[in-house]
Amino acid sequence: MQSIIHFSRVSRLLATFLVGLLHSVHTVAAQQGRPAWERVEAIQTLLNGAVPRPEAVRLDLPSVTQDGSSVLVTAEIDSPMTPDNHVEELYLFALGNPSPELAEIRFTPLAGRASVSTRIRLDRSQTVVALARTSGGDWLSGSRDVRVTVSGCLSRDATYQADDVMQTRVRVPPRFKAGQASDIRTLINHPMETGLRKDAAGQPIPEQIIELFQARLDDAPVLTVRLHRAIAANPYLVFHMAPEQSGELTLSWEEDTGETTVTTAEIRVD
Amino acid sequence: MIKDAMNRRQSLKLMGAAGLGTMLSASGLPVFAGGASAGRVVIVGGGFGGATAAKYLKRLSPSLDVTLVEPQPRYITCPFTNLYLGGIRTFETLWHDFTELREKYGVRVVHELAEDVDVDRRRLKLAGGEDVSWDRLLLSPGIDLRWGALEGYDEAAAEKAPHAWKPGEQSRLLRRQLEAMEDGGTFILVAPDNPFRCPPGPYERVSMVANYFKNHKPHSKILILDAKDGFSKQGLFMEGWREHYGDMIEWVGRSNDGGVMRVDADTLEVETEFGTVHKAAVLNVVPPQKAGFIADRAGVIDASGWAPIHARSFESQLVEGIYVIGDATQAAPMPKSGFVASTQAKVTARAIIADLGGDTPPEPSWVNTCYSLIAPEWGISIAGVYEVHDGLIREVPGSGGVSPMEADRSFRRKEAEYARAWYAAITQDVWGTRFAF
Amino acid sequence: MRLAQMIKWGASMQQSRKRYIIPVGLLVAGLCLSAGVMIAGMTLAEPENEYEAVIGEAAPEGATPFEQRIQMIAMSCAACHGTDGRLQTAIPLLAAQPAAVMRAQLLAFKQDQMPDATVMPRLAKGYTDEELEALADYFSALSRKANPGSAL
Ligand SMILES: Cc1cc2nc3c(=O)[nH]c(=O)nc-3n(C[C@H](O)[C@H](O)[C@H](O)COP(=O)(O)OP(=O)(O)OC[C@H]3O[C@@H](n4cnc5c(N)ncnc54)[C@H](O)[C@@H]3O)c2cc1C
Repeated sequence: MQSIIHFSRVSRLLATFLVGLLHSVHTVAAQQGRPAWERVEAIQTLLNGAVPRPEAVRLDLPSVTQDGSSVLVTAEIDSPMTPDNHVEELYLFALGNPSPELAEIRFTPLAGRASVSTRIRLDRSQTVVALARTSGGDWLSGSRDVRVTVSGCLSRDATYQADDVMQTRVRVPPRFKAGQASDIRTLINHPMETGLRKDAAGQPIPEQIIELFQARLDDAPVLTVRLHRAIAANPYLVFHMAPEQSGELTLSWEEDTGETTVTTAEIRVD
Repeated sequence: MIKDAMNRRQSLKLMGAAGLGTMLSASGLPVFAGGASAGRVVIVGGGFGGATAAKYLKRLSPSLDVTLVEPQPRYITCPFTNLYLGGIRTFETLWHDFTELREKYGVRVVHELAEDVDVDRRRLKLAGGEDVSWDRLLLSPGIDLRWGALEGYDEAAAEKAPHAWKPGEQSRLLRRQLEAMEDGGTFILVAPDNPFRCPPGPYERVSMVANYFKNHKPHSKILILDAKDGFSKQGLFMEGWREHYGDMIEWVGRSNDGGVMRVDADTLEVETEFGTVHKAAVLNVVPPQKAGFIADRAGVIDASGWAPIHARSFESQLVEGIYVIGDATQAAPMPKSGFVASTQAKVTARAIIADLGGDTPPEPSWVNTCYSLIAPEWGISIAGVYEVHDGLIREVPGSGGVSPMEADRSFRRKEAEYARAWYAAITQDVWGTRFAF
Repeated sequence: MRLAQMIKWGASMQQSRKRYIIPVGLLVAGLCLSAGVMIAGMTLAEPENEYEAVIGEAAPEGATPFEQRIQMIAMSCAACHGTDGRLQTAIPLLAAQPAAVMRAQLLAFKQDQMPDATVMPRLAKGYTDEELEALADYFSALSRKANPGSAL
């Protein structure tokens, strides 16, 4: 539960004094030769004056995408993921969206690999940025430009089947090797209503999203994700886990209404 | 690579020698006067892109020396293979040859596979051992399939679970399987993620198979397992499917576990991302794709597997003097269609001539219309006009779009008729094929 | 011969400056007349020995950039209307059709004023009025049949 507290603290900081303070503290000199995105408010706030090591987060996403409503992105950092040297936090931003925040991911060493994949919404052509903080307090970054086009033969209707909302799916490997990371994929059916759309009568449709995902192996947290509204409908996650012993994996998805769905999967370790 | 300055100077000199500089042909297309060659253009691929380019290069500039390299003595179109699969068109009407290009337009047609590209020496190596040198190289090699991208799906597997996404023996195999299938079986089509050749193609295919089932095997089912959460002209397809085929066709998108991860061609089973196994009576796998291999040999593709091009000319962004058109390119938002390959060929033919002659080509304009048949007399379309804006291709604002939803029967019938007329027109324009009317 | 064709082009370019007002009803009748009926199960025709001309017809020397662009756009029309717009199917023939009618039709497509239209309104919106008018003139100035004499 600690992780949740942590996230809300970050958001609170985001909204309070740091914004105003850091703007003035940041000297022009420190910005010279730095990528322009470091001056984006949400990112400045997060970095709090730290200078991230560039290209240390590998961002994998298509350079051109024909469907901005669902773009697969993978962020990965080389890290031993040991208790005293691991990636603790990963932040994803899409700078050209109405709000830049995509997701905040908190890893534990149990994840075994600092890597996550998800599907995001991109409003237009823009830069996607990843920032990561290690347990040692270092900041790492990565960025990729993405061009969003709508292909002539591809224009697709906004069809979302709402009959199975909150249904989840999970896939775990049949067996893990002790201490070795293998991937887990999961998905929940949910429209991720952004709050930016209007209904047929022209009334705004209120925001309704999945905002929190947690994975635990028995009682030990593996990964926590705070999702924002630019995560694509039917939130999808691929992450890793390196268990030492068998146990029960619990995945919980929490909607901003408080409604939560929990799924479990048996984990077998050889 | 540095452009061959000698070459350009030389061709300019040749034009000067003819005394007239650039002239315009009777078609209003500028041509080089005089008998001397205005340059040598080598084209790889005799499909929609390559064959169109060969014809229009010669129409624009009859004195150009144009060589077309294409291994097949006759080209079989992908467009309308779905009609063949549905049993409403014969295979022979999909064949086109190169007689017109050779005899009327004076294109040198070499029926061989281009094996490799020597960029520095500007030579194309043919499988037969011959070397062809170029002033400009134009690649329109279409697609290759990414064997192995789907676990279990390789060339051997395709002999049992055909893709039929490059036409020929594969199309016949799939047709035979559909004919042999017992009534009550399930036809599964595995559809890929974007980008891929012909975005509406898989959905037209199941429509045509459904039409065949409806008439011959009415208890059969069709399941589309899709790596995407939406597809081209989706609303129109689904409306048409309900109208004509009731609930025969089921579409499962990625978020409903439609993404296939593994194929077992022996048991005709596929396994999805979240572990559901589906068994087919006939299994059609359309795997992920990439540009034809020769584009890789030429060094014009990037990590995406497709060729990035300069929007205005379709000259490669990676190698000067090599142009790429058609399915092999990254030309989004233009789709990978035969219509597009052909319109790109025309604009690029003009650009190559300008490049060789040192003049400025007109501001590009491309067009696309993709028809799909849902039933023999039920057609739908998507169209678009494209331009360059800020150095990138975009659809002209306000233009383009799909057929209206809920249109009446006569509208759909008309579009079906136009689909057939389009096929006759484009194959006449590209290969000189003549259909009787 | 080339001179004669140039004169023809010139004539049609002049025409292009006049405005024609044609009732939509007439246009539709014109369209229907020019639309041929397609045989459903298409068959291959016997190969013809006589091909259309290698090169189209009628254009001035030293075409302006605008004219060159029109010629380039016209090439793409061939994908549905046949080379030089000379194919007559369910999709109408363009070559040698009256310029005034085609101009009015193209503008009507663009303004969603053509009843029973399918794809053309979506396409016509991709061009300026001037381009549509010039395209009409361009196709109108071509002969119905290709001129075999102009072949290589
Ligand atoms: C089922 C289906 C239906 C379709 N329906 C439509 C439709 O209705 N309308 C539409 O517009 N499009 C349609 N398409 C898409 C269309 O077929 C392609 O977009 C088009 O063929 C692309 O043209 P191209 O020139 O890029 O490649 P291709 O037409 O594939 O031509 C490539 C040619 O290059 C040759 N080649 C490749 N490598 C070499 C080499 N190394 N050396 C020599 N030659 C080589 C090949 O033999 C081939 O002939 C459909 C596709 C499919 C699969």
